[in-house]
Amino acid sequence: MSSLFDILSQSSVSLGAQTAVSATASNNLANSATPGYARQDAVVVDVPGVGGFGGGARLDTVTQKRDRFIEAQLPLAFGQAAFSQAQSDALGAVSALDPNTGNGIDSALSNFFTSLQSLSQNAGDTGLRQGVVSAAQQLAMAFQRTSQGLSQPRGALDQQIASEIPQVNQLAAQVAQLNGQIHSAAASGVQPNDLMDQRQRAVDQLAQLTGATVVNDSSGDVSLALPSGQALVTGGAAASLSVAPDPSNGGHLSLLLTRADGTGPVSLANDAVGGSIGGQLTARDGALKTAESSVDQLAWDLGTAINTAHAQGYALDGTTGHALFDLGSGPSGAASRIAVDSAVAGNPSLVAAAGSSSAGAGDATNLFSLIDVGGQALSGGADATSTLAGIVAGFGSASSGATAVAAQDAAIQSNLTTLRDSTSGVSVDEELIKMQQAQRSYEAITRVISTTTAMLDSLMAIGATTTGV
Amino acid sequence: MRVSDSMIFNNAALYSDNAQSSVDDATRVASTGIRVQHPGDDPAAAAGIVAHSSALAQAQNLSKVTASANDELSAADGALSQVSDALARARELAVQMSNSTYSAADRAGAAAEVATLSQQVSAALNLKVGTRYVFGGSKDQSAPFDASGNYLGDGTVRQIEIAPGLRQDVSVRTDQVIKGAGGGVDVFAAIGALQSALTANDPDAVRASMDGLTQATGQVAAGRAALGGDMDALTAAKNAADTAAQTETSAVSKLQDADVIDAATKLALAQHALEAALTATSQGFKLSLLDPTGA
Repeated sequence: MSSLFDILSQSSVSLGAQTAVSATASNNLANSATPGYARQDAVVVDVPGVGGFGGGARLDTVTQKRDRFIEAQLPLAFGQAAFSQAQSDALGAVSALDPNTGNGIDSALSNFFTSLQSLSQNAGDTGLRQGVVSAAQQLAMAFQRTSQGLSQPRGALDQQIASEIPQVNQLAAQVAQLNGQIHSAAASGVQPNDLMDQRQRAVDQLAQLTGATVVNDSSGDVSLALPSGQALVTGGAAASLSVAPDPSNGGHLSLLLTRADGTGPVSLANDAVGGSIGGQLTARDGALKTAESSVDQLAWDLGTAINTAHAQGYALDGTTGHALFDLGSGPSGAASRIAVDSAVAGNPSLVAAAGSSSAGAGDATNLFSLIDVGGQALSGGADATSTLAGIVAGFGSASSGATAVAAQDAAIQSNLTTLRDSTSGVSVDEELIKMQQAQRSYEAITRVISTTTAMLDSLMAIGATTTGV
Repeated sequence: MRVSDSMIFNNAALYSDNAQSSVDDATRVASTGIRVQHPGDDPAAAAGIVAHSSALAQAQNLSKVTASANDELSAADGALSQVSDALARARELAVQMSNSTYSAADRAGAAAEVATLSQQVSAALNLKVGTRYVFGGSKDQSAPFDASGNYLGDGTVRQIEIAPGLRQDVSVRTDQVIKGAGGGVDVFAAIGALQSALTANDPDAVRASMDGLTQATGQVAAGRAALGGDMDALTAAKNAADTAAQTETSAVSKLQDADVIDAATKLALAQHALEAALTATSQGFKLSLLDPTGA
């Protein structure tokens, strides 16, 4: 049989439970906008009493609301969305191949061949010869500008990747450290909810940076692996990434992995990493590199074909064998090097328009050979304009494909995030209601205490009357 | 589905961002009138723009070059017309002075006129258009005829390319039309023969010079006829180039330019969508126990 003192004792415990409910709701409200925070739930249970009477209520535990099925899919979604977005952003920001801007290779190419056509009508005219030299200089500059417009973003991506690596290493170390702390807390019987939130946030960020996904571990630790399978975090130990210039890739940075056990570093292929770093690497060495080397090849092929035709013609002074363009050696980097031959640039009379040394200044025979280069198939099997159109289309397809995939990945990520928030997110209204509920319970319990106290007072009053106090 | 506050706010941000981005895209297209700025906007169209823009530039330049060549041929035709006139006058004098009724003084006067005609022919054929002597062949930087009627140019016929691999003559073969190379007569020699006959007061020789003058006249006429054919070809090439330029302009415009009505409609739609997103967002925020209005 329960006594009045039992009721007071139970009420004390029950008040504590309601305070815990209120404190949990308060914590949830305070973290309603904290990214990655999983709402907590104070689980209150009834206390079994003796003799058929209940023992009140007590706080059993404070749990987190998590959907493990959704959370297991999120790192991959984060990684893919960050990958495609990084690639889309990198390619979308490049304007070097924008069509019909008036200062691109397309315009310069047209101007060059039309200047030859104009000169063919009056080959001895000094002004028209100067026009050809100027158009050739504009063409060379357009190649240089385009080459620069493609190589600069590749360099900028190197810098961006290098700046993200320390963050990756810091987050990986943080996950490893949190694994240890969570392990210790769980072993001591404490529910480490806040630590798990911190770890989840770090895992999300790592997934966005590197595409690392969670590897199931029976110990309860969160281990992470890069898309290629290399371990980034193994229990309480973390690997680290670093960068080094790759001479075989024009000095662009390549990734190195030092394993969690300290061995390495080993070189990582571009596709070994996902997330934003993987997207940046793919953009740098994919569409951008292809476009850059294609423009180099075009500059080399076109310059070589023009030089061959030009060298067969005769200048106004009867000399022959002049090159129109200085290309340097080899296709690699040709677009960044191409320039009008210094002798021709300084003396337009050296433009080899004539077909023979004895011909007069008006002979334009060789100009037709030069004009014909415009329609001549280059190494890729197409003429210069078609080759350029192919480069533009190829780059455009890569950019538009990356944009489409980025939109799709963002939608998948958004959907999964919404599902996670549906379970783990804080609803302010819900928490306010819980607080109201706890408050009501608290008020009711205090009423029980005051009533019980009044009952005790009554009992005390009887006692006093009996004893004459 | 349970709806948390983070869902409400994240989705509100996402939806309004998407709507704002659509408005931004639609505004860019509507205000610039350009649909394809980046190759990624429409890769196939971007490649087409490159190809058609190049063809457009070539067609526009071809139109200019053919027009310029035609102007030059027109000037050359004018010069040959003067030569024809001079030959006609010379022949007229030859017919007249072959008559025995004319005195030596008359023939001496006619000889002086013929000498002037020869100078006129020389002056007409030293025609310079722009920086070039049009009757000099490839040696067009100096006068092709000296005071004695000697030809200093060469037999080169200049050409321009009016289509890939298709070339059109744009000059007169002066060594043939005027100097009679390849079996013809030398115009200056024909006039000179008349002048010599007149100076010598020899009616028979004057009569004999008429054949040469007749041949020279025919030769110049044939040259002018060929030149007329060239001018017709250039006019046709210019018309074709102008048509091609129009076609290419249209093709570039179709690929690159935005449809004004379509752009305006898309902009209006995007603005409505943004408005709706913002309204829905603000309404969603009001539905809370925290709403001070208590609604």
